Amino acid sequence: MSNRIDPLGEAGLEFYSKVSASISHEIKNSLAVINESAGYLEDVTLMAKKGMNLDMDRLQSLAGTMLKQVQRTNTIIKNMNRLAHSLDDPASQVDLNALIELMINLSERTTVTRGFKVSAAFSDTALTITTHPFFLENLIWLILDFAMNVTGDAKTIELLPVKAESGARISFTGLEKLTASEFNDFQTERVRLMLAALNCTLQTDENKGIITINLPETITQPVQ
Amino acid sequence: MTDKVLIVDDEQDFLDVISDRLTARDMNVSTASSAKDAIKKIDEESFDAVVLDLMMPEMDGLETLKIMKEKNPDLQVILLTGHATVEKGIEAMKLGAMDLIEKPADLSAIVERIKRAKAEKIILVEKKSEKRIRELLTRKGW
Repeated sequence: MSNRIDPLGEAGLEFYSKVSASISHEIKNSLAVINESAGYLEDVTLMAKKGMNLDMDRLQSLAGTMLKQVQRTNTIIKNMNRLAHSLDDPASQVDLNALIELMINLSERTTVTRGFKVSAAFSDTALTITTHPFFLENLIWLILDFAMNVTGDAKTIELLPVKAESGARISFTGLEKLTASEFNDFQTERVRLMLAALNCTLQTDENKGIITINLPETITQPVQ
Repeated sequence: MTDKVLIVDDEQDFLDVISDRLTARDMNVSTASSAKDAIKKIDEESFDAVVLDLMMPEMDGLETLKIMKEKNPDLQVILLTGHATVEKGIEAMKLGAMDLIEKPADLSAIVERIKRAKAEKIILVEKKSEKRIRELLTRKGW
């Protein structure tokens, strides 16, 4: 029996753990607002019982705050659920626009905390390919993490998903400080294994500051 | 005398509600939605306690705590966090945080910490005054 840790499995667990930690932080922030709002209602109820007038506008704004936080938490949990279900099938049809949007949302806390703005220019039509959604999400996460070290002073990264002859491409732009040597260091064993699992390749243009994932329309050998 | 407190959090909704609730408890509350804004405020005013969110955009709570403590070693900082790891907690204490509270927190726990922070500050100020008086007496030979 080998004691060697599977690099792909390790990368997946690391990704999932980081996203879970970020999600739990976001939910706790939302809960803190709801908690304080409920506490505020308790305060004003006690004051009203003592004969103080209620500020109706403040109460209405508080109800709005609570509803907003419930919506926010619901979106966070929906995204978490979508990520969890991306491990259901080793090969499934995915809409790249939706997958990229999910990844931007899931990584938002991490990117914003580091002072970065990540956006995407989505294509008008659905961009569907058959791939392993979890590995692709993990690869996008790793590229975003790497990209934050090589962006220019604007600290913005834009993802561009487009249809290609052989399938689809996702370009990460704004990587002004990208060098061949740094890109080489990024391609660790786990990244190489991920690329193999997705039957895809990475391509760079250091002059334009772009990394592109070239994805096939359908993966040929889905990882079990 | 009212307790003077600065609450630092990037969640504006949280700042709005908690400042209303602490004000209703006779506290003098200032808020800052970024670390930069908070550092500017502690440069301009003196606070009995600072309640600081550990995770904020651009500059996190630990980095902010470090800068605040460099500027004013006596400043009483209570860290507020959505996900406290043991490591972060230890690091915060090493950097001089008074306490670490996990979100969502009971307001009475926050109020109690602020009161304790003020008491700590008073002790520190008294000790400093006493030291200054002793130095003065020694120097003047009275």
